[in-house]
Amino acid sequence: MIAAPRLALWLLSRRLSGAWRDYVVGDLVEEFQKRAARSRATARLWFWGQTLRCLIAPPPSQPIASVSVRNRHRDSHMQTLFADLRYSARVLARTPSFTLAVVAVLALGIGANAAIFSIANSVLLRPLPFADPDRLVRVFHIPPQATFPGMARFSVSPANFYDWQRDATAFERMAIYQFRSLRLTGRGTPQTILAGAVGENFFEIVDAQPARGRIFRPDEDRPGREHVVIVSHGFWQRQLGGAEDVLAQTLTLDGSAYQIVGVMPASFSIESWGASGRDFWIPLAYDDEARLVRENHNAQVITRLKPGATIAQAQAELDVISKRLEQLHPKENAGWGATVIPLQELIVGDIRRTIVMLVVAVGLVLLIACANVSNLLFARGLARRKELAVRAAMGAGRARVFQHVLIEAVLLAVTGGALGLVIAQVTLRQAASILAGQLPRADEIALDPRVFAFVAAVSVVAGLLAGIVPAVRAGRTSLTDALKEGGRGDSSIGVRTRRLLIVCEVALSVVLLMGAGVMTRSLLAVRYADAGFDASRLLTMSIILPESKYETRDKTRAFFTRAVEDMRALPGVVAAAAIDSLPTQGGSVQPIVVEGRPELLPRDQPTVEVRRVTPGYFQSMRIPLLRGRDVSDSDVETLLVSQSAARLLWSDADPIGQRVTLPITSRTILREVVGVVGDVKQGRLEEAAAPTIYLYTRSEAWSGLTIVLRAHGEPLALAASARAVIRGLDADQPVEDVQTMDTVLNAGVASRRFSAIVLGLFAATALLLASVGIYSVLSHIVRGRSREIGIRTALGARTGDVLGLIVREGMTPALIGIAIGAVAALGSAKVIEGLVFGVSATDPLTLAAVAAALAIVAFAASLIPAWRASRLDPLKVLRT
Amino acid sequence: MWFKARGPLGDFEQLVLLGVLRLSDGAYGAAIRQEIHERSGRDVSINAVYTTLDRLEQKGLLKSWDGEPTAERGGRRKKFYALKPAGSAALKQAYRAFTGMTDGFERHLESK
Repeated sequence: MIAAPRLALWLLSRRLSGAWRDYVVGDLVEEFQKRAARSRATARLWFWGQTLRCLIAPPPSQPIASVSVRNRHRDSHMQTLFADLRYSARVLARTPSFTLAVVAVLALGIGANAAIFSIANSVLLRPLPFADPDRLVRVFHIPPQATFPGMARFSVSPANFYDWQRDATAFERMAIYQFRSLRLTGRGTPQTILAGAVGENFFEIVDAQPARGRIFRPDEDRPGREHVVIVSHGFWQRQLGGAEDVLAQTLTLDGSAYQIVGVMPASFSIESWGASGRDFWIPLAYDDEARLVRENHNAQVITRLKPGATIAQAQAELDVISKRLEQLHPKENAGWGATVIPLQELIVGDIRRTIVMLVVAVGLVLLIACANVSNLLFARGLARRKELAVRAAMGAGRARVFQHVLIEAVLLAVTGGALGLVIAQVTLRQAASILAGQLPRADEIALDPRVFAFVAAVSVVAGLLAGIVPAVRAGRTSLTDALKEGGRGDSSIGVRTRRLLIVCEVALSVVLLMGAGVMTRSLLAVRYADAGFDASRLLTMSIILPESKYETRDKTRAFFTRAVEDMRALPGVVAAAAIDSLPTQGGSVQPIVVEGRPELLPRDQPTVEVRRVTPGYFQSMRIPLLRGRDVSDSDVETLLVSQSAARLLWSDADPIGQRVTLPITSRTILREVVGVVGDVKQGRLEEAAAPTIYLYTRSEAWSGLTIVLRAHGEPLALAASARAVIRGLDADQPVEDVQTMDTVLNAGVASRRFSAIVLGLFAATALLLASVGIYSVLSHIVRGRSREIGIRTALGARTGDVLGLIVREGMTPALIGIAIGAVAALGSAKVIEGLVFGVSATDPLTLAAVAAALAIVAFAASLIPAWRASRLDPLKVLRT
Repeated sequence: MWFKARGPLGDFEQLVLLGVLRLSDGAYGAAIRQEIHERSGRDVSINAVYTTLDRLEQKGLLKSWDGEPTAERGGRRKKFYALKPAGSAALKQAYRAFTGMTDGFERHLESK
């Protein structure tokens, strides 16, 4: 038996009632079988056609209905719907200010939802633009946890990669790649460009076809044949002017000519995956020696799972291979495992929690907007009681009135939704450049059919949500009561419902404000956490010397020594020095061996962050020198240790004068500790400062260093003269990443800043909506109770009494809302728990501030109606 | 309303009643739908057939009973229909009206 479309069956079973389900579905399934025997596709098409027709107009609710009146109702259902729609549109057009207010509120709420959903859609839901992206996975080492506590993945060593590649069967192919800084000359200003150096099969695995030319041939992954380059679409357009004869051109990279053999299409350049977001790619071309390196973990791996193979299978297989490699090469591999992670997970995994939080937050904003609209519709429903009563008297049933009010709400919401789409589109386009730096896959954010469907659904749901309470109330309106009142608004009607809406609005606002508050405090805590140095007034720039030109160690040292000296002489410069990796940017981590102690397996060896510095670095960065002295030009091989490194290696003993080796760099060079400096955060600002040693070395080339300048005033003002210094030393030498240290630190908190700003905007919207809600309800109450207030005033009530009366009226639901919201905020803290830093997600201080802020806003929103009430002239009020 | 129920048969009602007549013992929704499709060329929806059957039953022109569930229907029941005397009479009346009006003009109306 061939199965009928399941979704269609489900829809039918939902739509059809009682016995019809058996008869109709049975008939359809039966005929489907016959048709499917001839052609399955047309049978499915036919089945869906029949299903849709059933959904639009199903058979009567029960077989053999009691009277034929039922049929007449059903026939006219669509007609009344259209009549109500037309009527609603006319009524709404007659009250433009009301309509405008409601549509604006809804457009804001739905627009914000559409924008956030577009982001979630592009970043999280849409698959990567590669063939079969689900099967693309990356493989990493898991380092020994004793030496690298908490580090879940690590770059891969070439020898281990080639062993995996040979033995693992769960993958179709595996490729190794690296990033290499290459100096591009001969085309305008020299530049240093980070290129992808990719091993055999790289492009085959990603399954990317070049737009022009070809991908690398297997034999080009060998030294001697590797002078070929594939450029990105962007690079071709930007740097090569989109030249037609691009395949006949060459690029001069590090002084050698590379033949351009291919151009990748624009769709290949996914910024968020380093390997695809490059300007160009060259063959990795390891020689035999490089392929045997097992100790140095510096390469990346991309692979494609075989069809049907699972991550778990691949992982199990790699576990077995890793165990074997550990036994074969205990010295290098003890404690090193492997892990398989889907590419998509790597790209968006970190941001998922943030986006989920924003989706929740923006949902709350919409709920508040709905409560507000509900409130407005409610007030309008009261004002229109007479009209509705008349309609009821003319024969409109309760259901009809209910339907009418609901339709009106949905009509408003759909209009708001359409406007919201425009808002989302404009906002996303405006924010595109901001988002680019803060979100992976930001370049792919766009409104697609899924977003439209989402907005349509959200609009209808919002309309129903906002309309349901007023519709129920309107349907309940008693004909005689409404007409008896002679059209005078009655304040007692619906006040309880509307108070409840205020409670909801305020409670939701508390949750949002709490989230925004906690995220903002986290941002500040991270950004202004003590990183161990003074980041203000620092200019940084990175210089990578090409080996082809600076082939000896002495030449590189001479260049940087001279560069730093010349920069110190610039006016406005307080101090200057250089380091290989700036704080918070990560860098080399190596095992360290103290003289006189045995060298252990790498797994058990203590590791430290290793930085190469020039004299004056600590002074430039204002890192405190705690003991001993700074390195100096006359030193040969010396080092300073950070406070935590001193504690790690020598506990309480004096480190000055101790000697160490760094086995990865050299087992023979013993370096002496000459000083102890304060701790500096080398990795993420959220993490504690890692033990660090600072080398002054003559045995290694200083091929790439970042120069830091401390300025008297604005650091960026020094950029031009600093560039001129380098140009003066070597006109061909590129200078990259000229930026202030503050910029460097800000980049590290970009996604935090993004979520704090967006949440802050949402919270501000919530606050505004809540205050408008309170204001409108109180105004309504004051209008309804003006008689009572007039009498009170006439009987001697003072201004203060009246003020107090109305303010109490507004503050009571607000305070209840604050209390409920506080409980809800504490309960929902889990959503942001993993995102906060330096402050608890349930921080009582923030909560108190939020509660106070809302109370003040509620008070302010109550004051105007209260003041108006206190100014009521009893004579005027009582006479009317 | 009673006068509506006694009114003349609609066009589609006639097709459905004729379908029931032609299928005699085997008249149920799917069979009627296919009969109408094959003979009149109208590919109607199953719900339209049932809506009409239901209406005709209410008018007292049809009777119905449940059939056994079968495997090809996924174990779902069938609902069989048959003409009641009033149904036969209504069909006859419609046929008379139709043939009365077309008498002598058959050649004009034959489409082939």
